[in-house]
Amino acid sequence: MVKKIAISSGKGGVGKSMLTANLALFFAQKYNIVAVDSDVDAPNLSLWLGEENKWSDKETISTKKKPQVHNDKCDDRCSKCPEQCQFKAMSWENNELKVNRFLCEGCGACQYFCPDGVIEMKPVNNGEIKIKTTQKGFPLVVGQLFPGETGSGEVVTKVKEKGSELLAEEDDLMLIDSSPGTGCSVIAALRDVDFVVLITEPTPSAYEDLRKVLEVVDHFNIPFGVVINKADLNSKLTTKIKKDYQDNFLGKIGYEEKVYELVSNFQPIFESDLEIKKDIKNIFNQITNKLWSDPKRKEK
Amino acid sequence: MSRIKEIAVTGGKGGTGKSTATILLAKKFFQAGKKVLVVDADVECPNDYLLLNQSLSTVVEKAYAQFPTLDKEKCRQCGLCTEACPNNAIFQAPGEYPVFNYDLCDGCGTCWNVCPYGAIIPKKKEIGKIYKNDIKEGFSLITGAAKPILEETSPVVQKAREVARAYAQEKGFDLILIDTAPGTHCSVIRALMNTDLVYAVTEPTPMGAYDLDLILDLVKKLDLKAEVVLNKAGVGKREKIEKVVRDYKLKITEEIPYSKKLAELYSRNKLSEFKY
Repeated sequence: MVKKIAISSGKGGVGKSMLTANLALFFAQKYNIVAVDSDVDAPNLSLWLGEENKWSDKETISTKKKPQVHNDKCDDRCSKCPEQCQFKAMSWENNELKVNRFLCEGCGACQYFCPDGVIEMKPVNNGEIKIKTTQKGFPLVVGQLFPGETGSGEVVTKVKEKGSELLAEEDDLMLIDSSPGTGCSVIAALRDVDFVVLITEPTPSAYEDLRKVLEVVDHFNIPFGVVINKADLNSKLTTKIKKDYQDNFLGKIGYEEKVYELVSNFQPIFESDLEIKKDIKNIFNQITNKLWSDPKRKEK
Repeated sequence: MSRIKEIAVTGGKGGTGKSTATILLAKKFFQAGKKVLVVDADVECPNDYLLLNQSLSTVVEKAYAQFPTLDKEKCRQCGLCTEACPNNAIFQAPGEYPVFNYDLCDGCGTCWNVCPYGAIIPKKKEIGKIYKNDIKEGFSLITGAAKPILEETSPVVQKAREVARAYAQEKGFDLILIDTAPGTHCSVIRALMNTDLVYAVTEPTPMGAYDLDLILDLVKKLDLKAEVVLNKAGVGKREKIEKVVRDYKLKITEEIPYSKKLAELYSRNKLSEFKY
């Protein structure tokens, strides 16, 4: 079975994509991997991998339908559709039915209840999947939700399916970079994974959000490990987090201002000689130990 | 009474400093004599209360969504609801009662409206809480907090905004500042809709630039006015940010300098001591 590891955090900007990218580079030395960016609202994994924005394959996807109103067919103005809409997405404007596409969930109740066939549910292109082979030779699959569209959870599911198609062998590995938060796209990203790496930083906000995302992790009963990024920002809180999660602690990463310069030059930390590269390597070793407790594990 | 001005603080990328900018901006307006109501609309991970050294203890309202329940006495197992459900969330074996799969149900109401016997009763389920903190005279916080494992969080955002508007009217606030979630998905859209101005907070990294482009695209589609706040100014490279800002014919109107000091104050909940 292919193993799936997701990287999640609750809070945004604490280092999910940074860690996913560099773990991918470490794992790729020993295993067949695919890296999946399921942060479909703001996919940045490719940048942390130092990859250019060029793709060998791009596929537009449609996971939603939205109503198109044929006002000319609406004879009796019965108003069943706006009354029926639970999301208050339909209204009359100048004697014409209007759909607010930002409020519409695409459930199709309006179409169902219209006696005159005024409403047609039409598929919308709400996102795309981009694929490339990275400089290190492993595939990178990126999901992108088009701004203004809904259905991020479904786009996440699609991008993971695409990633699965690219791996088959036992001990192959999928690394999934999740969105921040705890809502539909995070639920879709975590739902069927074998292990979750939760990254946090020693700030009260990140610590609180770690506990929030852990409720999702526990809901699906997924084994997890905790990483503390920028650990020296607040050593007291770092100690506390480490103690709270001592059975699940994977390691810490130091605070390093040079990261911003590196990433601005498309240079992964993996390719640098920064001290934090060792921190990440240590975390990589910890995860490997947890995932393959069998010492005879198969390597590439 | 005229409508109170609403300003949203968003940014696409997580961790660019939306909450930091919200608090710093709120303080700036407050010091200029405005009565400011902050709304934390990052309902999956609300953190503004922490940055303001508050705790979430006063629930002022709850957010609900409606889900179907079955009155077996009225149900005649006709199968209309199962057939009508657009999400395939109702399962019905032959000769059995319909069963609702709440993981797939989005509460669209087709089933209870289609049922000829009134056997499906919409039932309110709590999906989140709205909290209030009065911090100083003329400086308050409304926080929306979604229940964990909730797929669709935008109704909690909606509720938080409604509560905030009513409270701001009642207490005569001059300004509502809305801190959104990261990303561009439904709950962000709900936090941005119909605001008077959007501050898009970004950072001078390629990720900041990429995500700024996405959020400004959304803001444009929502037909809203926007200004850009550059956080962590001084690190990385700002050329890419400036290009995105130019492409949308916008301006960087605020800059927050990069500082480890700020990060440390943030980590100790002492953001209010930061001067810039």
